[in-house]
Amino acid sequence: MDWQLLGISFITVFLSELGDKSQLATIALGSSCNSPRAVFFGTASALLLASLIGVLIGQGTAEVLPPSLVKAIAAIGFAVMGLRLLWPKSDELEASE
Amino acid sequence: MKLDSVVPNLSASELASPNSDLSKQLELKLTDTPEIFPKFTPELVEFSVSSNPDLSEKNKGLSQKQWAIFASTFVTIFFAEIGDKTQIAILLMTAESHNPWIVFAGAGSALIATSLLGVLLGRWLSSRIDPRTLERAAGGILLAISALLLWEVLS
Repeated sequence: MDWQLLGISFITVFLSELGDKSQLATIALGSSCNSPRAVFFGTASALLLASLIGVLIGQGTAEVLPPSLVKAIAAIGFAVMGLRLLWPKSDELEASE
Repeated sequence: MKLDSVVPNLSASELASPNSDLSKQLELKLTDTPEIFPKFTPELVEFSVSSNPDLSEKNKGLSQKQWAIFASTFVTIFFAEIGDKTQIAILLMTAESHNPWIVFAGAGSALIATSLLGVLLGRWLSSRIDPRTLERAAGGILLAISALLLWEVLS
């Protein structure tokens, strides 16, 4: 049981989901509907299905490509995502001006 | 109401038992004016229970309205999440680790935790803020999210 991997994946997904638009949608739907329980089950199952698809595609990718290449792609992918999140949105500012 | 019959005859025996006349007067009053008391018919009770669908359907499972909310939420969040950075992160982590199901367990529990947080926050907001304002804000937020998704698709 790789606790480190479990912890890392939990923290990564938790932080990336925290201000995400799907969470905003969950808050909006949960506050305006009569049945927050149905909203919770709908959201949780949709997210679980999406993550299951991600895992299956990731497994397929790992089998097809050599592991070092997959790690390199993963590193580049994470770096790109991190930079996009940290970079100030200068093009949007120009569009509004 | 016949007030002339209510005037008490204060004899010695009646003073000794002052309540007997009073109870008769009260009885007269009660029987003469039944319209004052509200009628708690079963229909009123039925209405108050069924206005909260969670409460009345608790033993029967999810009602049809709840299934509709479940389905619409499921479809909305599912399509918003496909191709989202969270899903790509899960994909990449699975590809580079040797334990895809550990990644799924960690990611799944994190997603359940964040959706629980979102719903609880929504419930707290619904108890604090006026429902109409909330509905308008929720509609605005969902429209903004859909516009953002369209912009991502087109660009």
